[in-house]
Amino acid sequence: MTVNATILSKPQVKNAGKLLAVLAAAALLFAAFLLANGADPLAIYSNMISSTLFTPYGIGEVLIKSTPLILIAVGTCISAKAGLVNVGGEGQFAIGALFSTAAGLSIGDSLPSFMGIVVMMLAGVFGGAIWSGVAGILKIRANMNETLTTLIMNYIAYQIVSYFVFNDLKDPDSFNWPQTAKIAHSLRLPRIAGKINLGILIALAAAVIVWLLVRKTKWGYSLRIVGGNANAALHAGINVEMVQIVAMLLSGALAGLAGAIEIAGVEERLRQTTGVNYGYLGFLAAWMAWNDPAVAVLTAAVIGFLSVSGNVLEISSGLPSSAISILMAIVLFAILWKGKGRKSE
Amino acid sequence: MILESLLAGAVQSGTSVLLTVCGETVSERAGVINLGTEGCMAVGALFAYIVCAETGQPFLAIPVACIAGGLMGLLHAYFVISRKANQLATGLTLMFLGLGLTAFLGRNYVSVSTEGFTKLRIPFLADIPIIGDALFDQDPITYLSYLICAGMCLLLYKTRFGLILRATGEDENVVYAYGADPIRMRYLSVIMGGMLSALGGAQLSIAYTHTWIEGMTGSRGVIGVALVCIAAWNPAKAFIGAYIFGAAQALQMILQQQGLEISSFLLMMIPYVLVLIALFAASIKKNGKMPAELKKVFEAV
Repeated sequence: MTVNATILSKPQVKNAGKLLAVLAAAALLFAAFLLANGADPLAIYSNMISSTLFTPYGIGEVLIKSTPLILIAVGTCISAKAGLVNVGGEGQFAIGALFSTAAGLSIGDSLPSFMGIVVMMLAGVFGGAIWSGVAGILKIRANMNETLTTLIMNYIAYQIVSYFVFNDLKDPDSFNWPQTAKIAHSLRLPRIAGKINLGILIALAAAVIVWLLVRKTKWGYSLRIVGGNANAALHAGINVEMVQIVAMLLSGALAGLAGAIEIAGVEERLRQTTGVNYGYLGFLAAWMAWNDPAVAVLTAAVIGFLSVSGNVLEISSGLPSSAISILMAIVLFAILWKGKGRKSE
Repeated sequence: MILESLLAGAVQSGTSVLLTVCGETVSERAGVINLGTEGCMAVGALFAYIVCAETGQPFLAIPVACIAGGLMGLLHAYFVISRKANQLATGLTLMFLGLGLTAFLGRNYVSVSTEGFTKLRIPFLADIPIIGDALFDQDPITYLSYLICAGMCLLLYKTRFGLILRATGEDENVVYAYGADPIRMRYLSVIMGGMLSALGGAQLSIAYTHTWIEGMTGSRGVIGVALVCIAAWNPAKAFIGAYIFGAAQALQMILQQQGLEISSFLLMMIPYVLVLIALFAASIKKNGKMPAELKKVFEAV
């Protein structure tokens, strides 16, 4: 009874109404942009919605696209709760994907399917955690601003991935395409329906676990105190550095896991462009969700929907794919304009 | 010979970063971080290129690029100051907008060629051994960047305007008490930051590479934000990081021309690793502290 009353209390309804209004404004603005470029916005919009949300294929694509975004967003929530701004999802994803590809290629089909997949996932987790861990250590040992280090390390990760797909891991049969060989068939993530793989379930489970971890455990409690006020946490006898470094490791581990799932579930091989922009979009999804892991699942799905419908836009209107970034930016600006609507924790 | 071409390359490639660092310094000194400098640069690079390609007048391209970058700055300022949106999230969104918009609007200019600015050798000064060529046989925007860098120092440290601007970044209540308007100061400095980043982008497209391709700013804007920290929020030190970044870029090209057997990707990593090391050194030395109003941004996401 009380729960229902709080959920449906007036400010929340008003807030949702406001959100719809700004999203409608964003849609109008982009419609004007489409019109100015000689496209028919009504046809495009109805096409975008009907082919993504009303076809099994479209729903599948949205779920597949949302998987890495959910994991990265949820990971970003953990570090944010510790008061750290991790903008390095991009690099942590890339190193995770690289590690799991390397693991997958060296395993081949020597292991039973289940074990091989677990090793690939663990390799991804490990890779992502290394990448965020470096930034975490630099933060607590050298007091380096983690926003800047994670951001710069994204570019280093991109070069490392490029190096490997052009050199050591390049597929000899790829006719000089910069990509690795495909992982063995037995290492592919099982599919649950159509093209949808197990990854979405892993991502949802991760979100639930993180939510429980942050909300219901002692560690989560100290995490929130550290993020709220590091000095108070010190006085309360909490090992602030330890909490921050663990938060950072977990955050990167989830991004790395996203990389591993992208390889084992979707791409099956690593390219330079694998997962480009997922890290930044995941960060924005977490921000839109007030760093609440449960809400982040929704916001990540919304961003996933936007990117998939962007592909439809490209096909049905003949506009270049860069139009999607413009749509994405307009929608994000609309949400930024509205503001959080409720006090963050 | 190699040293001279390395120095010349450092300045050539570093100018765009130098201008960005100068602009971002001004903005951060007023308490606003703009991660969207990358987007401002891209917009500057494209609009300068379009003007050059359409009119053949590089001098006309400079104000157009600055106006475009200033508008991007205005957008950032409106969101973070008037709407109190999160600065980091807004900056990232601005980056997406800038990169997306330029990729879209510039798609027909990818194969268009234009001359833009050519090098303008300054007599006598360019004859100074070793550094003469590097500093005084460059394009006009590079010369402009020297003046802007020096001008920013004067503006920040020698004028009343600069004093109020710095105070805005430290404690806005003091500025209110003084009878000045911190909001106006922030708007002005963020817009100025956007204009300078865009000018840096213009140097990249019409004076250095003489081409336009999507995403040509290649992280220079983001690096610029990091270098502000290394320069300890002081425009007088901006050139150090910017030219080191430029030198690393130039070194990578020189080594490739020499046919060295190192993968270009490992070489392309050098600038970023150098920036990380420089950040490390800067934080160990604890030189220059972050403006207090800026610190709040990182505390509350």
